[in-house]
Amino acid sequence: MIVAERKPIEKILEMVAPYKKILVAGCYGCVTVCLAGGEKEVGILASQIRMARSKEDNPIEVLEQTVERQCDAEYLEKFRDNIAQVEAVVSLACGIGIQYLAEKYPKTPVFPGVNTLFLGANIDVGKWEERCMACGDCVLDKTGGICPIARCSKHLLNGPCGGSQYGKCEVSKDVPCGWQLIYDRLKELGQLDKLKEIIPPKNWLRAKGPRTLVREDLTLER
Amino acid sequence: MGENGKRNTRVGIYLCDCDGKLSKKIDFSKVKTVIQSKADFEYIRVAKRLCGPSELQELSEEIDKYSLNRLLIAGCSDPMINRRIVEVAENKGIVRYFVDFVDLFALSEGKKDATEDAIASVNETLDLIGMKADVKIEELDVVPDVLVIGCGIEGGVAARAISKKQPVVLIDGGLEVTDGLDLVKGAKNLTVKTNAKVLRVSGFPGEFLVRISENGKVIDQKFGAIVIALGAQPVYDKSKYGGVELGGPVLSLSQFVKSRPECAGKRFTFVLDKADQDSLISHATVLREAVALKEQGAADVNVFYIDMKVTADHLEQMYEKARSVGINFLKYVDDLEIRTTSTSATVRYREPFLPDVGIVEVTSDYLVLAEDFVPFSVTQELAEIMELRLGPGGFFQEDNVHFLPIKSNREGIFFVGSCHGPIHGTELTREVEAVAAEVGRFASGKVRVPALQPRVEAEKCAVCLTCYRSCPHKAIEIVHDESLNNMYHSAARMHPLACRRCGTCAAECPGKAIQLPLYTDQEILTKTKKPPTLVAFACENSGALAAELAQKLDSQFQEKFKLQVVRVPCAGKVDVIYLLKALERGAEGVLVFGCHQENCKYIWGNKRAIKRKEQVRKLLEDIGIERDRLEFVHIAANQGNQFYDAVKAMAEKVRQFGTNPGKVVR
Ligand code: SF4
Ligand code: SF4
Ligand code: SF4
Ligand code: SF4
Repeated sequence: MIVAERKPIEKILEMVAPYKKILVAGCYGCVTVCLAGGEKEVGILASQIRMARSKEDNPIEVLEQTVERQCDAEYLEKFRDNIAQVEAVVSLACGIGIQYLAEKYPKTPVFPGVNTLFLGANIDVGKWEERCMACGDCVLDKTGGICPIARCSKHLLNGPCGGSQYGKCEVSKDVPCGWQLIYDRLKELGQLDKLKEIIPPKNWLRAKGPRTLVREDLTLER
Repeated sequence: MGENGKRNTRVGIYLCDCDGKLSKKIDFSKVKTVIQSKADFEYIRVAKRLCGPSELQELSEEIDKYSLNRLLIAGCSDPMINRRIVEVAENKGIVRYFVDFVDLFALSEGKKDATEDAIASVNETLDLIGMKADVKIEELDVVPDVLVIGCGIEGGVAARAISKKQPVVLIDGGLEVTDGLDLVKGAKNLTVKTNAKVLRVSGFPGEFLVRISENGKVIDQKFGAIVIALGAQPVYDKSKYGGVELGGPVLSLSQFVKSRPECAGKRFTFVLDKADQDSLISHATVLREAVALKEQGAADVNVFYIDMKVTADHLEQMYEKARSVGINFLKYVDDLEIRTTSTSATVRYREPFLPDVGIVEVTSDYLVLAEDFVPFSVTQELAEIMELRLGPGGFFQEDNVHFLPIKSNREGIFFVGSCHGPIHGTELTREVEAVAAEVGRFASGKVRVPALQPRVEAEKCAVCLTCYRSCPHKAIEIVHDESLNNMYHSAARMHPLACRRCGTCAAECPGKAIQLPLYTDQEILTKTKKPPTLVAFACENSGALAAELAQKLDSQFQEKFKLQVVRVPCAGKVDVIYLLKALERGAEGVLVFGCHQENCKYIWGNKRAIKRKEQVRKLLEDIGIERDRLEFVHIAANQGNQFYDAVKAMAEKVRQFGTNPGKVVR
C-alpha cells in the first residue's frame, strides 16, 4: 500500500496563509490505513490549523471531509459542495489523490498535507517498510522474492556492492543489505545458482514519458 | 414513562445487613424510609443476608413478581457474592450492566454512624441507574463444552467441578503429570485425553476452535471456554542448601510426597524457608506430612523454619495439631549446615533463643528439603499459541491490581491454580468455584449479553487492522460480508463476548469508524462543547474514583478550579481529537488520569494514552502553544489527594501561561 506521512504543520500553515476558509480533504484509502490522512487525521489537522491561526489573531474557518478514495473521480465529486465554499483545499491523500483532486477542481488551489513516501508493508501499528518501487518490470522470481530495487540502497540489479558488511548496508548499520537478504533467501530455497544470471539493465517504461496503463480488453467504450 | 404508563426502568433496591454486621453503623429502616420518599424505583427491602441460598431464591422470585429490570444492591462488596447475585439476575434476564452495587462496608469505615452516607450513596447510584441508556440484549448461541488443560491435582479438581454443569475435555497439555486423574474417575460428562497438546486456538469465547494433537493425531474441536490448570513444577535448587545433592537420606519435598519411605521408628527432618519463600504450599505440605509421619509411628519429626506461615486456611489448626502430636519446630536465623552420610543427615544450626545452648546438631534418617516452584516449560508455548500474557517468573498472569487471578487477558480463557503463581488449599477451592461459575454461564448453550461492544460503521472502515492489532483482549475480527458497505465488503467486528469495552480500539481507529456505546465521540465531544478552564479525562477504574474522593475532601473543588471531569472507561479511550478539541474550544489545560504503570485494567490503555498525550503535546508545540497545557497523571482509585494536587498544579501552571492562545472563538 501507499505510505505517506503528515507534512510538518509550519509548511501547511505557510500554504494556507492567505486564506480565511479552507477544506481539509481526507481519503479512506491508503492514507487511512497508514494513519496519515483518514478522518481522524483530518480532524487533527483542522484543529491544529484553527488553533495556530487563532493564536496569530487571524482566524480561519476549516471544513472537514473525507471520501472513500481521492484517486477516483466519482468519489471526488462528493467534495463539490464544500469546495464551492472555500478558497483552498489541503488534501491528505497520497500524491495521486492530491493531483487528481486538483485536476478535478482546477479553479481552487489544492495543497499537499502529506509527503507520499513509498509503497510498503504495514509491519505493525505505527511501522512501515518499503517493499516495491513500481519499476514496471518485476524481477522477484530471480531474487528470492526480495526486491533489489526497493531494498538495496543503490537499487543494484546485480549486487551486492563492496559495502555490504555483516549483513548490513554501508549507508547505515540499521539497514539490512538487500543483497545479503537475497543471498540468504536463495540459499534457503536452494536456488543460489540464480545469482549466476546477470540481470540486464531495466527498461523503466519511461521511453514514452509518464507511465499509463490501458487494457484494451477491459476498457469500456461508451 | 413507557407503554401503559409503566416505567421502563424498574429498579429493585436491596439493603443487605450482612448478617447484622452493618446495622451497627447504619439505621436500615431510616435508609429505607428516606429512599422510599424518592419515586424512581419499583421495590425496596432490607435483607438480612442476601447471599444466603434462601434469600437468593427470594430475590429471584421478586425479580419476576415485580418485573424488575435493574438491581441496586447495597451491602458488602465481596466479588464472589456479587457474582452470585449477578448470576441470579442474569438467569432472570437482568444483565450485569444493570446490576449496581453500593459497598456499605467501605462507606461506613471509620465512622460511628454511616446512615446518611448510605442514603447519599444509594441515591447517587439510583440517579446513575436512571441515566443508563436502554441497552439491547443479544442472545448468543455458545458451545457449553469446556477444555481444561492440566491433569495434575488442580486440573482434576477444576474439571470435576465444571463437569457437574457442562461437558469437559481434560487434557494433560503434553505434561507427564497425571495425579489428578484419580479425582475425575467415574465423572460423567468428562473426557480425558493424555499426551494431548493444544496446537492452535482461534475464534472467540463461546466458540473457540481448538486444534489438539492427541498421541500425534490432530483433531479440531469447539469449546465455549478454556481453563488452564497446569500447576507449577517443583525444582530442587541445591545452591539454596549449600550444595547438598539429593540422594540417599536426602529427599526433595516432592520426592518425599511421591514415595514416602517406611517411617516406623525413623527420624525425619524437614527444612522450610530456604526455598519457596513466597507461597504457602511447602508449609502446608510439610505440616500435613509431618503429622502423618508421627501418626504412623515415626520416632522423631523435626521442622526447621524461619517464619511459620500459618496466616491462611486451616494452617493455624494444623500447626497446633503438629505441636500437640510432638513435632519439634526449630526456628533458625543463620545459615544451616548440612552434612550427610549414606544413611543419615545432620543439620547444624545456632539456636537463636537460647544463647547458652549455642550450636545444635540434629541428626535424622531422612532429610526432606523444600523446593521452589517454577512454571512448566509448556507455559510459554501455550501463552504464545493463545496470545496470553505472562507475568513475574514466567507464570501466567501479570502483576496488576486490577486483574483477578483467574482471568486472563482474554475473555473465555481462565487460569486455575499454581500456573499463575503457586497457590494452595482454600485459595484453590475458591478459584475453582469462581471459574466454574464463570464458565457456567455457557452451560445452557445460550448466553444473554448487553450489546455494548463497540460498533463499526463499515463505510468508514478501511480494514486497516489498527484496531485488530491494538485490542488488548483479542476481541476483534475482520469479517467479510457482501452487505458491508465499503469496497472490501469487510469490516472490523468486536465480539460481544470477548470485548471488555475499554474503548482503546475506538480511539485508535484512523477512520473514526468505531463507536463505543455510552461513550461515543458524539457524547463525549458534546459534553466538552464549552469546556471550563480545566478538563480532566478520567479513567473510571482510577481517575474518576479519585476525583470523587477529591470531591469529598473539598466539595467546592471542581467549582474552585473550574474543572470538568469527563469519565472514560479507560485512559485508552481518550482520543487525540478529544484532547485537541478541548483546547481548541477554550480549555486552558487538559489532564488525562489513568491507572499506574503496569496497572491498567485493560493492559495497555494507559500506555496508549501516554503516547497520545505526547503526540498532542508535539502538535501544540509545533504551533507555538505551551505543550504543558496537557498532562497525563498516573493515579489509583484511592488517591483523592493526588488528584486534587494534580489539578491544582495544572491550574497554577495555566495561570502562569496566561490565556490559551489557541482558543478558537466562535
Ligand atoms: S488517493 Fe492515494 S491514498 Fe487515497 S486511496 Fe488513492 S492511492 Fe490510496
Ligand atoms: S550494501 Fe547492499 S543494500 Fe547497500 S548498496 Fe550495497 S548492495 Fe545495496
Ligand atoms: S481501525 Fe478502524 S478502519 Fe481500521 S480496521 Fe479497525 S474499524 Fe476499520
Ligand atoms: S473496546 Fe477494548 S476490548 Fe473491546 S474490542 Fe475495543 S479494544 Fe478490544
